[in-house]
Amino acid sequence: MKKRILLYVLLAIPVAALAYGAWVWGRIAREFDDRHWDLPAEVFAAPLELYQGLRLTADDLTRELRRLGYGPVSGRIAPGLFRRAGNTIDVHRRAFTYDGRSFPAQVLHLEFAAGRISALEDGDGNPLPIAELEPMLIGHLFSSHGEDRIILGPDEVPKLLTESLKAVEDRRFDQHWGIDARAMLRAALANMRAGGITQGGSTLTMQLVRSYFLSNRQTYTRKIREALMALVLELRHSKDEIMLAYVNEIYLGQNGARAVHGFGLASRFYFGKPLAELDVHEIALLVAIVRGPSYYDPRRNPERARARRTLVLERMRDAGLIDDAAFAAAKERELGVVSVETRRATYYPAFMDLVRRQLRRDYDDKDLEQRGLEIYTTLEPLTQAIAEQALATELERLERAMPGRPELEGAVVVTNPHTAEVRALVGGKRTGFDGFNRALDARRQIGSLVKPAVHLAALESGRYSLASHIDDVPVTVELDGGRTWSPKNFDDTVNGQVTAVRALAESLNLATVNLGLEVGLDRVARTLERLGVEPRRPLYPSLLLGAIELTPYEVAEAYNTIANGGFRTPLKAVRAVVDGRGRTLRRYSLEIEQVASPASIHALNQGLVQVMRRGTGAPAQRLLPAGLMTAGKTGTSDGSRDSWFAGFSADHLVVAWIGNDRNASTGLTGGSGALQVWARIIGAVETSSYDLPPPAGVERVHIDYRTGLSTDPTCPDAIELAMPAFAVPPKAVACGSTNTRTGSRLREWIRNRLQ
Amino acid sequence: MTITLRAERRSNRCSVLTLVLVSCAALAGCTTAPFGYPSPQPGPSTRAPGGSARPPEAEPAPRTNASAALLEQGKEARAAGRYAEATATLERALRIDPNNPLLWIELAEIKAADGDRAQAREMARKALTLAAGDRAIESRARRLL
Repeated sequence: MKKRILLYVLLAIPVAALAYGAWVWGRIAREFDDRHWDLPAEVFAAPLELYQGLRLTADDLTRELRRLGYGPVSGRIAPGLFRRAGNTIDVHRRAFTYDGRSFPAQVLHLEFAAGRISALEDGDGNPLPIAELEPMLIGHLFSSHGEDRIILGPDEVPKLLTESLKAVEDRRFDQHWGIDARAMLRAALANMRAGGITQGGSTLTMQLVRSYFLSNRQTYTRKIREALMALVLELRHSKDEIMLAYVNEIYLGQNGARAVHGFGLASRFYFGKPLAELDVHEIALLVAIVRGPSYYDPRRNPERARARRTLVLERMRDAGLIDDAAFAAAKERELGVVSVETRRATYYPAFMDLVRRQLRRDYDDKDLEQRGLEIYTTLEPLTQAIAEQALATELERLERAMPGRPELEGAVVVTNPHTAEVRALVGGKRTGFDGFNRALDARRQIGSLVKPAVHLAALESGRYSLASHIDDVPVTVELDGGRTWSPKNFDDTVNGQVTAVRALAESLNLATVNLGLEVGLDRVARTLERLGVEPRRPLYPSLLLGAIELTPYEVAEAYNTIANGGFRTPLKAVRAVVDGRGRTLRRYSLEIEQVASPASIHALNQGLVQVMRRGTGAPAQRLLPAGLMTAGKTGTSDGSRDSWFAGFSADHLVVAWIGNDRNASTGLTGGSGALQVWARIIGAVETSSYDLPPPAGVERVHIDYRTGLSTDPTCPDAIELAMPAFAVPPKAVACGSTNTRTGSRLREWIRNRLQ
Repeated sequence: MTITLRAERRSNRCSVLTLVLVSCAALAGCTTAPFGYPSPQPGPSTRAPGGSARPPEAEPAPRTNASAALLEQGKEARAAGRYAEATATLERALRIDPNNPLLWIELAEIKAADGDRAQAREMARKALTLAAGDRAIESRARRLL
């Protein structure tokens, strides 16, 4: 009997071992193979287009080049290098492909003057009309797991890196079967002497397996499993495949909440440039970090990292990978790690989220993991950095100014109003973190941001101009069930008769409600619908004061139509999707639709210019370049929960929101919070004045802000508005007077007869 | 749902238009107005806002150099029937020089050649709003409307 049991046990052991082996085999086949040999879609930012006349300084370009990983030199330039002398920059642009077109490596000679590019030439001194820099790779689309990674192909891995890895981590890599018994024995002896586990003796294959499947606890059973799995991996794959997987997989650092895996991403993370451009000392540092990314973190522990780098360089020399001179030179080099700011600006989770959502309309997740898809987006890294900085600065300032306030959060959307391309998107103050994307998902009351729609509805009715008088007097509206609604002005004032432009500029609630009721709620709602906003029905008059909830992104879409002269176009983040062979699969072309009369929009926008000059937007002036004309509107929701600002120059529409995630009162108004963020952004981007010639059907006239009469441009209260000829009011006899000139009245009369 | 308006103090609503009409009718009845005007009304071409001189925002010609080069490239692509390329090139030009009606009308014509009548019409409308009286552009736009 006992013998029988023993027999069973003896039989069970190989059966169990075989079963375990089969399980390991299956698991490796399933996970490792699937995961590694797929190339996820690469996502690119918009390329910087250089041309004579572009508003760009030599400092801006230097920053952009460094961000793209170009190195400054004083001598000869090669691809990936640039040379600056004062206001002249020579850059050897790398070869690249963009949207199916190939651009060869090229020398560009740029001169700068008065804040612009004053000359652009090729290396032989021939003028170039336009040149592109390669777009920055901003990430990859993985749907199944959220990590970012830069997957390298076999040709993209420098031989010096793989040879150095072998020299330092696994000298018998090319000979062993996944396990190096001698190294393990040596490690085991060292551990016994030390009375615990201090040395690994792991091969590269075992490190790879550990990174893939196993926890990081050092135990003997785990070591055995690791060895078994390494053996299976070696049986299934060639040495080259395993080395490539190692290079793409191994853990090399921590970027906030995000793990940095693979040498491709690590190269960007530590040096801000592609792996292929790394120098000997930089490769040595990455190899040094492998042993302990936290312990040898070159940013936090530079001395330790440097000491280990020297050790790695010695091993490289001993293995004959570098000669004595290269060793001596590399040993003396600085660590060369890029600053935290530079690297933070290369990860854009909020924008990537938008890209993913827009692509999901046309692709399912599997398609996006197809080999080698390239996604060309509209993101402008420079603008994104400015927007992130502006929000962070303002939130810090507000929190310092009023400690104890509920925690503030914010969001920003920046577009090009003409093309509706999203230039930048900030989803919260922790920008390097995949969290709640407030730009797309925080749905809040928009308050006075709705008022331009009320005025637009009035202008389109043909019965008003912005010089018309409206009543800023108390109003009570009877609702269903005997309830009433009696809005008040923000500061509780009653101003009597005011010009429409003043009602807009100073955001007067009573005047807006009276105007909206006169025009009709339904007409206002239809105007909103044409701008892309769908008010819930039945309609309530509180709609006139912005009792409607929108996300910052939706606000940007509606205001983009206003900034774009009444042409609506859905915002877009993706320009084109190209497959691995350079064929364009899909191009997201510009599509526009006229939804408001150009004359009415032009008239409205002259009023929004006055918001910035005389009204609630005026505090922005100190942050804007002198003479820059902009147009915009503040918004504050009930109980000061949300602070909004939406406004534009000729080339930039910016929507900023500040509030609290639990919708608590922040005590802010549109002017005290979001406006400051907006102004910091508009003040920092390269942009030009919002100043278009009036379209057919309207003319520009000077109007007295308070009386609404035509006036001389030299009068203190003269503002410039646009309106149809028949609506131009008669001229006042003197600045600010309500009496009109006889001649002026007669001329109006004749003009009206002739219409 | 019903909404009734009950303004508590209705000051007399004075739309500019009625003011103009009433005062002009009165004038026409009883006065012979002099036809010399004391100061000329600023025409629509005067564009100094608020009396202050605008900064010299004259769009430098170079901005048009880049867009002109792209416009030529786009025209070549269109002539060769490569509409996708022509569209992409014109869109690139519009990112640089968005208020140039020549680019919009060219894009409108590319859309028309490519069979997209609706977009051709919309882009022609956009060109018209920017044309500022340019006859050539206006007549090209009208052919598409």
